[in-house]
Amino acid sequence: MAELMTALSLFGDALVSGLIAALMLIVNLLPDGISDAFQYAFMQRALLTSVLVGAICGILSCYVVLKRWSLLGDAISHAVLPGVAIAYLLGWPFFVGAFITGALTSVGIGAIERHTRIKSDAAMGLMFTSAFALGIVIISKIASSTHLMHILFGNVLGVKQSALLLTLVASVIALFVVWLAYRPLLLYAFDPLQAQALGFNTSVIHYGLILLLTLTIVASLETVGIILVVAMLITPGATAHLLTDRFKTMMLISVGVGVSSAVIGLWLSVVLDVASGGTIVLVATSWFFMALLFSPKQGVLARFWRHRQVG
Amino acid sequence: MATTFGGAPVAINIKGLYAAYQRQPVLEDINLQFPAGKWTAIVGPNGAGKSTLFHVLTGSMKALRGSVQAFNEPIATHRKAGHIAYMAQREAIEWDFPVSVWETVMGGRYGHMRSDPLWRRLLPSRWYHSRHGEAVREALLAVDMLALAERPIGALSGGQKKRVLLARTLAQQANILLLDEPLAGVDPPSERLILGVLAREREAGRTVIMVTHDMPGARRHVDHVVLINRFIRGVGSPDEMLSDAKLAELAVSSIEQSANDVRVAESPSFMAAQG
Repeated sequence: MAELMTALSLFGDALVSGLIAALMLIVNLLPDGISDAFQYAFMQRALLTSVLVGAICGILSCYVVLKRWSLLGDAISHAVLPGVAIAYLLGWPFFVGAFITGALTSVGIGAIERHTRIKSDAAMGLMFTSAFALGIVIISKIASSTHLMHILFGNVLGVKQSALLLTLVASVIALFVVWLAYRPLLLYAFDPLQAQALGFNTSVIHYGLILLLTLTIVASLETVGIILVVAMLITPGATAHLLTDRFKTMMLISVGVGVSSAVIGLWLSVVLDVASGGTIVLVATSWFFMALLFSPKQGVLARFWRHRQVG
Repeated sequence: MATTFGGAPVAINIKGLYAAYQRQPVLEDINLQFPAGKWTAIVGPNGAGKSTLFHVLTGSMKALRGSVQAFNEPIATHRKAGHIAYMAQREAIEWDFPVSVWETVMGGRYGHMRSDPLWRRLLPSRWYHSRHGEAVREALLAVDMLALAERPIGALSGGQKKRVLLARTLAQQANILLLDEPLAGVDPPSERLILGVLAREREAGRTVIMVTHDMPGARRHVDHVVLINRFIRGVGSPDEMLSDAKLAELAVSSIEQSANDVRVAESPSFMAAQG
């Protein structure tokens, strides 16, 4: 058993080194002024983490945007905090705790929604703020405020090898599940009644998608932090939705927006010496506003132009 | 209740069905049989529980009591086998969703795709979907939408949207078709086209069950009518059931019922049950 674990972690390390080497091949093509920043090992780990997080957030954000789950994403990301704290107390890996409280909260939201007259937005607001409050209380008892700051706002420059491996595993799982369950997920997002009538088990799909969302959030914690991760789950998908009428194209654009925001944001944060999580989100937001202005069909300029031509 | 239509086999058999939304009863004591290979219209006022009946049949809502069988087996078995096609009302769908007409209709095949081997399903859709492309093509041809197959669904008119939804149910090649108001809000040419398509489906031996407010269309085409308003209010031929007297009776039943609901809601025992 111990040998297996060693073999697995060796394999993981080798995979990470391989991926970093591949990324560095691309980075080294860039002008020296840009590529210089990526010569340090911590920057290379941060780069790989950002690429992975940008990619899975990009994929999941298509479902979040189309299913109107933005608030649910926000709720789950906040609900992860007490899980992190409890896992720290018990000495578990922190993603186990995060996963449990994230999933419990989403089940709790569903239960309140179904069995009381409270509507879903109030149910979400209530559940996630209380989970978040619990997390703050526990952490204030056990850890320093810098620790709390790192969980809340991320610290991609300080990503350790173990956290990078976790992000890698989570990304591979998320990608694999989306690939395997592509059609049921698409049909469920588009038309749940039809999915049910075709004999798909929609509760399994529903909770499966929520678990995927939780997994993605946990994997992104180190990069953008709990508070801002929801931006990475909304902005790429929303940007892509403005640019295309095809689901697969939407996914590709969304992944592109996610990855490029993460990488450019990382670089800018180092060059300007500002917080990386916030910078990444701001780069994503600028992609969104560019799409809003210049999208060929949905864009403000295109509409203005059509208006002019008609008038 | 005796089997309708002189011993025709029964496609769907509903026994002692009760259903409620938030403790508010919507369907009560429903005992109903839909004859196989016939075209049945379900008629009733708004809020009579027609769509709810379909939600129970398609599994998106659980009945409080009662059983539903299709061809003498639990209806879930037939759902899983892809034998039951359902067309929701147009409002139930997010038309901004980034899919084309072709992809939407291909959605009707997703149930059957589960019986294909996994490795094949994991191939890119471009190759894999061609195996199901013939059914999609035929369905789009039947509703005269093949020319618009690559359009995004959001760019269609109301009647075209209905026809795409109908094509999706046809592409499933199911033996029971459940259609929730297939004729609502469509222009006359689309209406003629949809009625023609459904008539052909019935000729092909399929069981067609539709909710409708279109009395002239129903009188001309269907074999069998069910009047419903929380309870079953009548079952029979279109001539009997869609007579002016019968329809007036149905309308009165809904007024009486809402008056009843107010009385019940004001009674102390009901308040206690709600609290």
